[in-house]
Amino acid sequence: MEKVQSLQPGCRGALAGAAAGLVSGLLGAGGGMVLLPLLGAALQGRERYATGLAVMLPVCAVTALAAFWGGARLPGGMLPVLLGGALGGAAGGLLYRRIPLVWLRRGFAVLLLWAGIRRLLG
Amino acid sequence: MSGFFIALGCGLLSAMGVGGGSLLMLWLTGPAGLAAETARFVNLLFFLPSAGAGLALHSRGRLVRWDVAVPGALAGMAAGGLGLWLGRFVGGPVLEKGFGLLLLAAGLAELLRRPEGQTAA
Repeated sequence: MEKVQSLQPGCRGALAGAAAGLVSGLLGAGGGMVLLPLLGAALQGRERYATGLAVMLPVCAVTALAAFWGGARLPGGMLPVLLGGALGGAAGGLLYRRIPLVWLRRGFAVLLLWAGIRRLLG
Repeated sequence: MSGFFIALGCGLLSAMGVGGGSLLMLWLTGPAGLAAETARFVNLLFFLPSAGAGLALHSRGRLVRWDVAVPGALAGMAAGGLGLWLGRFVGGPVLEKGFGLLLLAAGLAELLRRPEGQTAA
């Protein structure tokens, strides 16, 4: 861990992004759950969550494009889901600074534990 | 219409980086009745506008460290391609269970982590 801490922030970001991309490509999901704990070696606080989005957005875009080329299509009736996601994302961006950091961290930790248990039992 | 409101809540969480996509997957594969592969594709598409909207606001608020994000995104895209290719040869329950253990360890580490010195902006 000390060796990781001694790396430049960009190198740490690249290592975290590579791990997240590998998991996303292999499993089709879960990249963000790998990314944020690893980004903790480079960033703290709100910067960690916001920068995590900036890493995962292009990774997800490329993965979606690859899935589209592979024949995946949006099922009927799912456009409202995309619209709701966009509006929710904007609301989340506006409220972000008002949410206590400790809630974000604990919420994310609970999500990690829940997702881990689901995968182990699933 | 319920999909809109569920995605609204999940998008709000996604923009904060706390896993709205994972919750949306539950709805997509449960009440919405989509197959897992289709649900993953919808989830990926959902993430683009929700995270994009959140990211635009975070960027304006100078919360994004681009010196970390750009190398991370480039490495992530390359590794994502590698992962897609590797996925043809490996995968299955062992990989899923191993990832589950990794998530449990990460969750515990996150819970036990020392409080960060940074104060809320």
